[in-house]
Amino acid sequence: MTATDGDRRDGGRADDPNRRHWRFLLLVVLVGTIIVEPLLWFVIRVHMPPGRQTTAAQGDQFDATVLTMMASPVVIAVLAYFTYAMVVWRHPKGAPLVDGPPIRSNLKVQASWLFMTSAIVMGAFVFGTYELIVPAGAGGGEGPSPIWTPTSKTILPVQVIGQQWQWTYRYPTYGGFETTQLVLPDNTWIAFHVTSLDVIHSFWAYQLGVKADANPQVDDVAFTKTQQTGKVTVRCDELCGIWHGAMYNYGYVVSRSSFNSWALRTEKRQAPLTKLLPPFSWTYSPSANGAGGGYYPSSIPFPSSESYGKGASGPEGNLPGVKVSHKGLSGGQ
Amino acid sequence: MAVDPQMMDPEALEAEAEAEYDLLGVEGSFWTATRLLIGIVTFVWAGVAFAYFYLRESDTHALWRPHGVTPPTLLGTLIALCVVAGAAVAVYGKYTLLDGRQVDWGFAAWLTTALGLVAAGLQIWELTRLSFLPGLSGYTSVFIGYAPLNVAFILGGTYWMETTVARAMRLRGRLATTGGAGASPLPDARLLRANVDGVTYFWVYMALIVATFWALFYVL
Amino acid sequence: MAMTEEARAGTGQHGRITARERQRNPWLGQSVITGFAGAAIGYLLGHLFGNIIASNYAVVKASGVNNVSICLGLALGTLGWLAGLGAFNYAVAKILGYEPAKEEETTGWQRYFKMTLDHKVVGLQYLIAVLGFFFTAGLFAEAFRTELLSPYSHFIGPDVYLQLVSEHGTMMMMMATSLVVGPFGNYLVPLMIGARGMAFPRLEATSLWLFVAGYMVILTAPVYGGFNTGWTAYAPLQTEARGGMDSYLIGFGVVGLGMILNGFNQIVTITNLRAPGMRWTRLPIFVWAMLTTGFLLTLATPVLFVGAYLGVLDRTAQTSFYVNAHGGSSYLWENLFWFFGHPEVYIMALPGFGLVGEMLTVFSRKPLFAYKVAAAGMIGVALLSFFVWQHHLFQSGINPDMRPLFMLDTELISIPTGFIYLVGMGTLWRGRIRFTLPMMFSLAMYFNFLIGGITGVYLSDVPVNVTVHGSFFVLAHFHYTIMGGLVFAFFGAVYYYMPRVTGHMLNETLGKIHFWMMFVFFNLTFFPLLIVGFLGMPRRVFEYAPRLQGLNAFATVADYLLGLSFVVFVANFIWSMWIDPKPAPHNPWQSRGIEWQLPDPVPFHNFDRLPLILSDPYHYGEEDPLPVADFRGGGALAALAEAGVAPFDAYAGRPEIAHPASHISDPGREV
Repeated sequence: MTATDGDRRDGGRADDPNRRHWRFLLLVVLVGTIIVEPLLWFVIRVHMPPGRQTTAAQGDQFDATVLTMMASPVVIAVLAYFTYAMVVWRHPKGAPLVDGPPIRSNLKVQASWLFMTSAIVMGAFVFGTYELIVPAGAGGGEGPSPIWTPTSKTILPVQVIGQQWQWTYRYPTYGGFETTQLVLPDNTWIAFHVTSLDVIHSFWAYQLGVKADANPQVDDVAFTKTQQTGKVTVRCDELCGIWHGAMYNYGYVVSRSSFNSWALRTEKRQAPLTKLLPPFSWTYSPSANGAGGGYYPSSIPFPSSESYGKGASGPEGNLPGVKVSHKGLSGGQ
Repeated sequence: MAVDPQMMDPEALEAEAEAEYDLLGVEGSFWTATRLLIGIVTFVWAGVAFAYFYLRESDTHALWRPHGVTPPTLLGTLIALCVVAGAAVAVYGKYTLLDGRQVDWGFAAWLTTALGLVAAGLQIWELTRLSFLPGLSGYTSVFIGYAPLNVAFILGGTYWMETTVARAMRLRGRLATTGGAGASPLPDARLLRANVDGVTYFWVYMALIVATFWALFYVL
Repeated sequence: MAMTEEARAGTGQHGRITARERQRNPWLGQSVITGFAGAAIGYLLGHLFGNIIASNYAVVKASGVNNVSICLGLALGTLGWLAGLGAFNYAVAKILGYEPAKEEETTGWQRYFKMTLDHKVVGLQYLIAVLGFFFTAGLFAEAFRTELLSPYSHFIGPDVYLQLVSEHGTMMMMMATSLVVGPFGNYLVPLMIGARGMAFPRLEATSLWLFVAGYMVILTAPVYGGFNTGWTAYAPLQTEARGGMDSYLIGFGVVGLGMILNGFNQIVTITNLRAPGMRWTRLPIFVWAMLTTGFLLTLATPVLFVGAYLGVLDRTAQTSFYVNAHGGSSYLWENLFWFFGHPEVYIMALPGFGLVGEMLTVFSRKPLFAYKVAAAGMIGVALLSFFVWQHHLFQSGINPDMRPLFMLDTELISIPTGFIYLVGMGTLWRGRIRFTLPMMFSLAMYFNFLIGGITGVYLSDVPVNVTVHGSFFVLAHFHYTIMGGLVFAFFGAVYYYMPRVTGHMLNETLGKIHFWMMFVFFNLTFFPLLIVGFLGMPRRVFEYAPRLQGLNAFATVADYLLGLSFVVFVANFIWSMWIDPKPAPHNPWQSRGIEWQLPDPVPFHNFDRLPLILSDPYHYGEEDPLPVADFRGGGALAALAEAGVAPFDAYAGRPEIAHPASHISDPGREV
C-alpha cells in the first residue's frame, strides 16, 4: 500500500513506513512461492488424486495441481499478511487506545487487486475450458448428445445401469450381456452410457476420473481412455435412498487380450440370460404394469444414437483385438 | 399544511417537519413495496413459466401434451377477461380519484373487487371441470400447478383492492372537508392515494400475467 | 378471535387504549400459548380435510400414507399458529376498513413470547430462535458423525443415519438464511440508518413466527417416517419418499415465506426510512450487506417456493412435474432448486461480510478501507449469484455446452468476493489491532473463508469437479464458507452486540475458551473431510473405504469437541445474562457507530428526534472528526427544505433556522 496524502506529510518516501511493510511482505510471499511451487510440481503432483489410470484421471490430477499452484501464492500472501498484521500492528494490552492512520482508499492498490484477481480468474477459466474440451469432456457426464467427443475410431461403449442399490454393466458390442463386474480393456477409449432404472444415482469410477449422473430415462455419456491396468472403485455419488452408502462395487482395467477373452466368454455363458433381458437400449422405462420389475427399452435402439467418434458404431468397429458385433441387438428389437 | 410554518416556533416546526419526513418515508415505502412485491411475484410466475417451457422443450416420452388435452377454453378466456377488465376499471378509477371524483373511484374499486372475486370463483370452478387427470402429461401438470396459484394471486389483488376501498369509505367523512380522498392534503388521504397507486399498479401487472398464461395454456 | 386492538382503534378511538387495559394480565392476550392452540386446531382440521378428500385415493389405500392430510395438516397448522399469535388480526380488521392500532410499548419478559411490533424485541426473539435451530441441527451432526467412526454400519443404521443427515442439512440451511438477517438485521438496521423501526413491523414479526413455525414443521418429519433425500431432495427420490418429505416441502415453503418477508422488509426499510443525511455513501457496511442479502432473499426464494409447491402437488394431486415417465423431468427440480440454492449460498455469506466489516474497523481503529469497493463487491456477488446455479449440475448430464459459461460465472464471482479480502486487509493495514473476542472471530472468519473460497475454485473447474463433485470435499468446502464464514461472524457479533442488546457483557474468559475450541476443532473437523472427499468418499454414505477410517474418526472426535465449544458458549450466555449479569459500560468497544451512541437501554422509539446524520461511522484516526450524527434533530427540516418540499422549501438557504447542526462544518462532505 503506497502512501496516502496524510502519510506523505509525515516524512519522505525513504522513511515511509508503508514501504517497509510492503518490502517485507513481498519478500515473504516471494520466498514462500519459490519454495512451495516446485514442491507442488515435483513432489505433490504425482500423488494427487485420482491417479493416472485413464486420460481423464491424469487430466484431473494435472488440473488439480495447476489450480493448487495458482492458488498457493494467494494463500501464502493472505496468510502472511494476516500474520504480519496481527504481530506488527497489535495494540499493546493496557496501552492507551489510539486510532490508526485514517487511510480510506488507495486507488493503486485497489486497481492492482482488481487486475490481479481478474487475471487469475480469467487464467483459471481459459485453462479449465481447454482442459474440459480437449480431453473429450474430461470424464464428466455430457448427457445424451455429447459435444466433446474423442476423435478415435475405436470406442468401446459400456452401458452403466444404476438401480437401487447396485451397479450393473451391459456391453452392447458383445450381444448386450449384463454383468455386475466392470471390466475394461487397457489403452482404449471407453464411452460410458450411464442411465438409471429408478431414482438419480451417480456413477463415480474414482480411479478412472469418470463421474456421470444416472438419471432415469436419460442416457448420460462420458468418455475416457484407459492407460494403466488395475483395480477400479465404483461408488454411487448421488443420494439414492437407504442403501446409498452400500452401493459400490469394483472393476478392473485389464489387457486388451484378457478383456476380449473375458467378454467373449461372458457373452457365451450369459447368452441364455441375455435373452431374458429387455432388449438393449440406451434407456429403460418400467413396464406399464410394473409387475416383476419388467422394463422396456424406452428410446431409439442402439446404433442410431451413436453420433460421436465417427465410424465407431460401424459393425466392424475397428477395435483391434476386440470383437465388435451387434448381433444381440438386432435380434431383440 | 394549514398553518404557515414560518410563524411557528422552532420546536413545533421541527416536529411538523419530522412528521412530514416520516410520512414521505411511508409513502416511499408503499412505492418500493409495490414494485418489490411485483418483483417477488414475477419470480414466482417465472418459476411456473420455467416449468412450462422446460417440460414443453423436454417433451419427455412425447408426453408434453397429448392430442386434445385442453382445459375449458371458454372458462379460461372469461377468467382472463375478468382480470383484464378489472385492471382497466382500476386504472380508470385511479384517474377519476385524482380528478376528485371519489364516488366514481369507489364504484370502480368495488367493481374491480367483484370482477376479481368472479375470476377467482371461475378459476376454482374450472378446476372441477377438467377432462384430464393431473399426472397425464407435462402440460396437465403445469396447468394443475398454475390454477391454484392463479386463484391465490387474484384473491390477493382483490383483497388489496377491497381493503383500500373499505378504508376509503371509513375515511370519507374525515376527508370530506379537505377536498376528499383525491385531493386532501391530510396524511390519511396521502397514504390512501399511495395505496390506490400501488393496488392499481398491481392489478395492471396481474392482467399482464393472466393474459400471458392464458396465451400459454389456451393459444400456444 | 377476540376483537383486536387494531380493530378497536379503528372504531374512532384511534388507538387510545386505557391504562387499565394495558396493564391486564400479560397472559390473557395472544401469545405463543394461543399460537400453539391455533396450531393444534389448524393441524387437526387439516388432517381431517385431508382424510375426507383423499382417503379413497388408490395411492393412499395402497401405501397407507395420506400425503394430502399431512400437507394440509402442516399448512393449516402453520396458519393456525399465526392466527393464534395474532398475525392476522390487522389483516382481517382491514377488510372492514379499520386503521392499524397505534403502537404501544410492551414491557416485561412476557413480550418475548408474543407478536410484537418492536424491532428490538423481534431481533432478540430471532436470536433465540436461530440458536435453537442451530443447536438442534448440530446435535444431529454429532449422532451421524458417531456412525462414521466406523467404515461399516454400527450405531444408528443407514435409515436413521440418512434421516439425521437430511434433517441436519435442511435445518442448518433454513437456519443459516436467517442467522444474521433475522437477529441482527432486524435489531440493527433501524438503529444504523436512524429509523424508528422497520417499514412493516407486522410483516417483520410474521417473518419471525413463520421461522419458528418452520422449525416445528421440519421437526415433524420423524413422526412421518423422516425423509432420506438429503437437503437437496432430488426427485424422483423426493416423489417416492416417505411422509417426512411433506414436512420438508411444507417446511421450506413456510421458512421461505418468512425469508421473503424479511428480505422485503429490509429493502423497503433501507431505501425509505434512512434519517436525514444518511446518504448511500454513509450507510454502514452492514446495512449494505442487509440490502444486497434482501434482494437475494426476495428474488431467489420465490423460486424455491414454487419448486416446493410443485413437489407437494406431485405427492398429493398426483401431477408429474418431476416424474420422467409421465412427461415431467427430474431436472426441473434440480434447476428450480439450485436457481434458489446458489443465491442462498450468498444469503449465507454476505451478512457475515457485513458484520465483520463493522467489527474490523472498531478493533483496528481504522476507517473501513475502500468502502465503495466493499459495497460494489456485495452488489457484484448478489448479481452474479443468479447466474451460477448450473455449476451444481456439471455432472448431471444436462447442457454440456453451458458448462464453460457457468464455470466462468462461478469463477467471476470470486472477484467481488476477493474485494471483501481487500477491504479487510486494507482496514488492518497499520491499524491498532485489539484482540477482543469479536475481533478474534472476525480474523478467524478470514482464515476459514480463505480455505472455503480456494476450495470453491476447484469445484468451479469442470474437469476437477469430476473428482470432487458430490464428495466430502464439497461438504467440507461449504462448511468452511458457511460455518467458517457466517457462523464465526455471527458468534463474533453476538459477543460484540450483546452489551448493546441486553446491557450485559458476555464473560471474556469463557468466551476465549469458546473461541479457541471452536476455531481449532472446526478446522480439525473439516480439513480432514476435505482430504477424505478428495480421496474418494461420497457424501451421505454410512459405509466407506476402510482406509479412510483414520481421517474420519479423527474428524468425528474433533467434531465432538467442536460441539463441546457450544456448550461453553451456552453456559457463558446463561451465566453472563441471568446468573451473574454484569452491567456493560456504555459503548464498551469505543465504536463510532450510531447504534452505540444511543442511550442504554435503547428507547422504545430509538430516537426522540430524527437524527441528522453527518458522516459515515468510520472516521477513526482523524483529527477532530465530525460526530457521526446530531441527535438533537433538525435534519428533517433541512432535508425537506433542500428537497423543495412545500411549505418547508421556504427555509431553503436559511441555515440558521433550518439547520440547528450548522455549527458543525461541512456536514455534506462526501466520503
